[in-house]
Amino acid sequence: MKKQFFKDKRAVTPVLSHLLLTIVAVSIMSLATSATFIITTNLRETMGERLLVEDVWFEQDSGEVNIYVRNVGRVTIQVAAIYVNKVGQLFNSPFNLEINENKWLKADFDWLSGESYYIDILTNRGTHVASYYKAP
Amino acid sequence: MLRVITKLLRNKKRGISTVIVVMLSLVLIVTIVGNVILWSYQMNQVDWEKMQESIKIINVQETALGVLITFQNDGSLTSHVTSLWVTNSTIHQRYEIGTFISPGETTSELFEIIILPDEPYMTKVTTERGNISVFSTD
Repeated sequence: MKKQFFKDKRAVTPVLSHLLLTIVAVSIMSLATSATFIITTNLRETMGERLLVEDVWFEQDSGEVNIYVRNVGRVTIQVAAIYVNKVGQLFNSPFNLEINENKWLKADFDWLSGESYYIDILTNRGTHVASYYKAP
Repeated sequence: MLRVITKLLRNKKRGISTVIVVMLSLVLIVTIVGNVILWSYQMNQVDWEKMQESIKIINVQETALGVLITFQNDGSLTSHVTSLWVTNSTIHQRYEIGTFISPGETTSELFEIIILPDEPYMTKVTTERGNISVFSTD
């Protein structure tokens, strides 16, 4: 019986072709589903970012600019860069903020009393939080 | 009628794969668009609520028991004040608070933990939705 089954080669090609077609279709659908998941997750995360600058302190003792930030969005935030007057500054990196978390972001920057500075905080998803702040 | 349709479907199998592909693609597109629109709607709601919120500090008064701060909620939503800042040129002190103020309400709250610096100083509160209100003394 078994011998006869293996000897009979009729209709093998259609079975193989159907099997291959099924594998290809399943692979493509899996790829499409994964891509959909990744795209929507990225979009949702970018749309859900909200960062609040509670306070900016031009500290006289250390000469640093301390920015107190709070995550008021729906996703975790990672600060990628700080620009003061469009020039990148060193800061306490890596700086991550969980949802509703708040802490000081310290920018290493020599400021001058009475000057106004345009401080721009950039997250790793590309959200900008920027405004003018005057040093005391 | 149903029998006729069933018979037709059994006999004529051309174009079925196209229909299946179109249906699967439609499911994918609807999932993507629906997901993005739903999230966008939720975030718009968050932003709209933030815009509707309006809170003010009317007065800051130092008493023997502590600092008495009067808040006024001009907005149409209940405000949750989460932090209070007392700042001047040398001190930037943050206090965690949890005051709820109903719409249209003016309320005074005594904070025993707050220490006010010498004038001039600025008192600032932030709400859970991310709004800030400032009161300055000269």
